[in-house]
Amino acid sequence: MAKTIIKTVDLRKTYMQGKIPVEALRSVNLEVEEGEFLSILGPSGSGKSTLLNLIGALDKPTGGRLFIENIDVSTLNDNQLADLRMKIGFVFQFFNLIPRFTAKENVELPMAIAGLSKGVRGKRAEELLEMVGLASRMNHKPTELSGGEQQRVAIARALANNPRFLLMDEPTGNIDSKNAFEIMQLVKKLNEEKGVTIIMVTHDQRLAAEARRTVHMLDGMIVSETVN
Amino acid sequence: MRIIDMFSYAFSAIRLRKLRAGLTTLGVVIGIAAIVALLSITQGLQTAISSQLQRGFATDTLIVSAGGGLGGGNEFNLLVKDAQTIRELENVTASIAVIQRICYVKSSGLTRRVTVIGVDFVAYRDIYSSTFVAEDGEIPLNPEEDAVIVGKQVSDPWNNGTLFCTTGDTLEIIWTNTTARPLRNETYTGRVVAVLREVGGFTVGGPSDSRVYIPISKAQSFFGTETCELIIVKLKSDDKAMIDSTAKAIREALGSGVTVTSSTAVLNIISNVFSTIELFLAGIAAISLLVAGIGIMNIMIVSVMERTREIGILKALGMKNRQVLLIFLCEAAIIGFLGTLIGIGAGWSLAQIVVRIFGSSSGAGGLRQAGQAVVSNGTTITPVLTPTVILGAIVFGLAVTMLFALYPAWIAAKLKPVEALRYE
Repeated sequence: MAKTIIKTVDLRKTYMQGKIPVEALRSVNLEVEEGEFLSILGPSGSGKSTLLNLIGALDKPTGGRLFIENIDVSTLNDNQLADLRMKIGFVFQFFNLIPRFTAKENVELPMAIAGLSKGVRGKRAEELLEMVGLASRMNHKPTELSGGEQQRVAIARALANNPRFLLMDEPTGNIDSKNAFEIMQLVKKLNEEKGVTIIMVTHDQRLAAEARRTVHMLDGMIVSETVN
Repeated sequence: MRIIDMFSYAFSAIRLRKLRAGLTTLGVVIGIAAIVALLSITQGLQTAISSQLQRGFATDTLIVSAGGGLGGGNEFNLLVKDAQTIRELENVTASIAVIQRICYVKSSGLTRRVTVIGVDFVAYRDIYSSTFVAEDGEIPLNPEEDAVIVGKQVSDPWNNGTLFCTTGDTLEIIWTNTTARPLRNETYTGRVVAVLREVGGFTVGGPSDSRVYIPISKAQSFFGTETCELIIVKLKSDDKAMIDSTAKAIREALGSGVTVTSSTAVLNIISNVFSTIELFLAGIAAISLLVAGIGIMNIMIVSVMERTREIGILKALGMKNRQVLLIFLCEAAIIGFLGTLIGIGAGWSLAQIVVRIFGSSSGAGGLRQAGQAVVSNGTTITPVLTPTVILGAIVFGLAVTMLFALYPAWIAAKLKPVEALRYE
């Protein structure tokens, strides 16, 4: 049996919306194994993005436990969380590229933060962009790239520091269907050929079916699970 | 993250907002330029005045005057014959009395108001051998009673070759006797025997371009006085201990009513005054730099807000709070450093321009006449930019920008990644 890299125990998250507490997550229990391709499916407001943010160490839970590679994330301070995030690849719905940087510079950025030298990260950025099929567009800025291309850059960037797993928040939510299909092929290839663990949040049933396992969320809880 | 990568990241952010960064930098430029210009002009002025003073006021001389300070006080009378008493003291090589009165001098129908100095020509020349020098005519060894020596500016007041009087001319000297009742004008006709070479600057006791010199005996009889305003004492050397002991001896010989001033003391006073002025001006200039600092803070807070999402991305990619803080400080450092460098250049140029404008106006007759104490045409002020000022400006400029950037940078560093990423 494969190693468990993410484990949540009774995970809870309550936001304050003004003075009203909103329970975004109420008792989520989830285990993700290394090499898995998991999709989290649910309507908006079901808490799936909140869950993803917690797993991505972008936010702190208000209750329960979250273990990433057996480390209890809730015990970590800001610095340790930042170090943890360096080993997690994030892909956002709105790409979140730095507009003033070229594709290559964007892919280099996480490696620069990690302290890699210019030569090393330049070479790796080129390899990654080649892998996502953007070898010829690496010196273009995000505004000169299509949505699909921008998301490929974002995927390359997410892979830059050899992450333990990839978190994708509606990765095709802002891309036309043809490009969305191609992005999904790339993601599947990463999972199948490179063994990258992937957790993808979506509200699109057909997209979720591309993953090998799907958990269904509703009102801050996992209500069912299907294996595709 | 490597420091070079931080700077390059910060630089790319600055380049994105060229106009805004430029205006922010301008604030620093103005502040630093004001400080540098004011300091280099004051220091230049101080250097010029000090050198003038040293020329007109030899370091091995003492000035003895009645009462508190130079020429002040009136309870104690300094007598001409006191010079003789001082001459007998140890270490004194010469001692001469100086009588000075405001008079009118009349030549070919024109009248000018001048300070007339009664002094022993030869002894005076011995003390001020480099400045009491005739340009035209000769300083007589055995002057006639009616001999008159005039300063360069008295001879050529308009500085254009049109002479008020020159060697060989007769000069009517008019003095209003204020002790006589009713008041009356005393008059005698003198003969110009020499015109002094231009001295420049101003002086205490020493020769000046704007004065008229007559023999001490004539001054005594004409002004009807036994008192004098100053006694100039020349010592064997300018040794500090000798100056102090002689000054003490003079006070003991003449009584406590005298003031003995050494040139070093005057130089010290001037240097103190200038330090105060410098501090005051630098303080005013520093305020403009503080204003620039507030501008930087303001702009950076706006910039942090605008770039909230970017900060969120950086944090999602693993950047630590400390690194975010450093990136914003790097931005401030680049602006501060650039602004300071340009500011030093601008301040230096400004100082040159100001000095040139000031220099040309001081050449005009009006100003020259008005001021014995004002630096005249003979003196050119050269702005002085010392390494201390340059270094100080850089340190101060950087410190102010970084200090004011600290708060915005801290705001950026403290942003929560999830909230920052959600920011539209």
